[in-house]
Amino acid sequence: MKEKEILAMLLAGGQGSRLGALTKTIAKPAVSFGGKYRIIDFSLSNCANSHIDTVGVLTQYRPYLLNSYIGTGSAWGLDASNGGVSILPPYATESGGEWYQGTADAIYRNLNYINLYDPKYVLILSGDHLYRMNYREMLKCHKENNADLTISVMKVPMEEASRFGIMTTDETGRIVKFSEKPKQPDSDLASMGIYIFNKDVLEKALIEDSTDSSSEHDFGKNIIPKLLAEGKRLFCYEFSGFWMDVGTISSFHETSMGLLEEEPEFDLDDRDFPIFSNENISPPHYIGPEAEIQESIVGNGSEILGKVIHSVISVDSYVGTGALVKDSVLLPGAAVEEGATVNRAILGENSVIRAGAVFGSEDPKEDIAVIGDDFIVEKGGEA
Amino acid sequence: MERVIGIISANYETHDLGCLTQERTIASLPYGGRYRLIDFPLSNMVNSGISTVGLITPYKYRSVIDHIGAGKEWQLDRKNGGLFILPGSLFGVTSSEARFMIRDLKHNLIYLKRSMADYVILTASDVVYNMDYRDLLAQHISSGADITMLYSEAVEDAPHDLGLTLDGERVTSFLHGTKKGENIFRGCFVISRELLMNIISWYSSVDFMDIFEAIEPELGKMNVRVFRFGGYIRTVDSIRDYYIHSMELLRSDVRKELFTPLHPIMTKVQDSVPSKYIEGCCVRNSMIPAGCVIRGTVENSILFRGVKVEEGAVVRNSVLMQSCLVEAGAVVENAILDRKNVIKAGTVVKGSPENVFVMEKKTL
Repeated sequence: MKEKEILAMLLAGGQGSRLGALTKTIAKPAVSFGGKYRIIDFSLSNCANSHIDTVGVLTQYRPYLLNSYIGTGSAWGLDASNGGVSILPPYATESGGEWYQGTADAIYRNLNYINLYDPKYVLILSGDHLYRMNYREMLKCHKENNADLTISVMKVPMEEASRFGIMTTDETGRIVKFSEKPKQPDSDLASMGIYIFNKDVLEKALIEDSTDSSSEHDFGKNIIPKLLAEGKRLFCYEFSGFWMDVGTISSFHETSMGLLEEEPEFDLDDRDFPIFSNENISPPHYIGPEAEIQESIVGNGSEILGKVIHSVISVDSYVGTGALVKDSVLLPGAAVEEGATVNRAILGENSVIRAGAVFGSEDPKEDIAVIGDDFIVEKGGEA
Repeated sequence: MERVIGIISANYETHDLGCLTQERTIASLPYGGRYRLIDFPLSNMVNSGISTVGLITPYKYRSVIDHIGAGKEWQLDRKNGGLFILPGSLFGVTSSEARFMIRDLKHNLIYLKRSMADYVILTASDVVYNMDYRDLLAQHISSGADITMLYSEAVEDAPHDLGLTLDGERVTSFLHGTKKGENIFRGCFVISRELLMNIISWYSSVDFMDIFEAIEPELGKMNVRVFRFGGYIRTVDSIRDYYIHSMELLRSDVRKELFTPLHPIMTKVQDSVPSKYIEGCCVRNSMIPAGCVIRGTVENSILFRGVKVEEGAVVRNSVLMQSCLVEAGAVVENAILDRKNVIKAGTVVKGSPENVFVMEKKTL
């Protein structure tokens, strides 16, 4: 088989438990975002736009939707004959089978897949981050530094640095210290969980880590400190665009609302670097004769007969006559029936707010209201 | 329907679509905000379980091939069967008005010969409807007809369309031109593969004829019957048709029937972002696909991908195709704007409901 310069391993097995109702039945990378996308679209599109045509997707938590959504990868132009997208779930061997124990363990157990393509470099990604990045730029930096491992970082406010994995570098960008969630951070460069390894270095580190019974088999906690201690060449690649790990309901809501700005910080519309998705083919949306719509984005297949203010209306949603939707996110197929009111809420896929029901509160002190996929809120009923 | 293959004829034109079909064919005429006319018969075939479809290409085939590609969106990029490109014949520099030219079928006889199917469903590419052809086939088989033609009652006069005189379900004669209320042929019929090949060989020396022109004298002998389609069905062969029928898509009953998720109309996917409504916009009774940005007023209109309506601009009772820009304060009323038109700030572009203003496609 022809040698690949680089392949990507996309970690998509996480539950994203802090997203609560939104990840009850699907994995976090499969959660809908931005009216028509799923979170994994962003990293898959980054791969496609970076001309990386071989992507292993590691799944574990509730993978059905993710598997069927990714399909052959053709929606992202990733249905290559030598490579393409491969779904890599945990599997059994002659000595039994186990779940992936950590990020490093998941990659370790798929070394066979990586070696099938014999790449020089391995790109390791999370499938649950929102950003646009050309990984080729990062690879160029990796080669220029003659690095063993390059970690993509971004500057964060110093007061928030203690929430991240923080890199301390020398003047050449070489990492001299790595501290996971430090109480007294001495740098503001936070790891984005995007790594480029020389394959040989990665393979050796993973094999050694696999036999270490004290290890949690995690890149941040185990592999990076181990390589630093061995004196390997670890470098930072500083990224300055938009990057977001929508870990919580409130950050999901806030990031969604950010898309409604006239010039959003995270602009989904970039023809030179398009975000691809595997959408159903729905007709254009319809805005009714008595509808009112302001400061919103609307996906195909939706029908809006009521009032929509400052909201994200995803594909195939419905807002009935006399209904009000404000500061909210309707995920695909959500319905707000006649005369219902929805304020500062996230409605799961195919959920229904029955006619006349009230959901969510205008009061900014209240939490964002959420209902999961397929839930129904009756009039007078609680969420 | 493993026993059926499809043929879609796109090698014909009508002069009444004017500049809308100057550089494209009827089959690739944009329709309904994100579709092309050929999406309707092609999706109908696939939704009816037909997985082998031949497309008779028109002379100006670039736009239709660009749209259909390998047939991926219709799941026709298959190892077994799938999409077959059947080159249409040339008639000087233009195509003929005949929808089912025998010469086109004769030149592609190998498509029919190689097939193992019992039946062939043939369709035109200028009819808008959502139909399961299995009903048509079932009746064709049970009635023992030689040919079963799809028809409905004409909703208005159609001077170029074939009308049918019926005795029960049997076709006794053809009318050239159809009046409102008469039975109009909807450009779709089913025939056995064997009979179709026979007809092609019988008329091989006069192959410039439409198949129905050829069999017209035989109506007494041949068992030509009809299947009535009772749903929403419209033929688009003039600018007036195009405008009136486009506006009918603003009716909820029409949209629900035509775009039912049970048999979706499929089309080429473009990965546009969701449309954006900016504060101060006013949008009523309109159909809008992804990729638009609306700052002004849009009423009773159908937009296509990438249309931008700037502040204070007004778009009313109009169809705006892909990437049109209506600048600040401009007014567009009762108009069809083909692709990439820019209406400069403050300009007024107005037609009347009877005489719609049409602006041709801007070239790059």
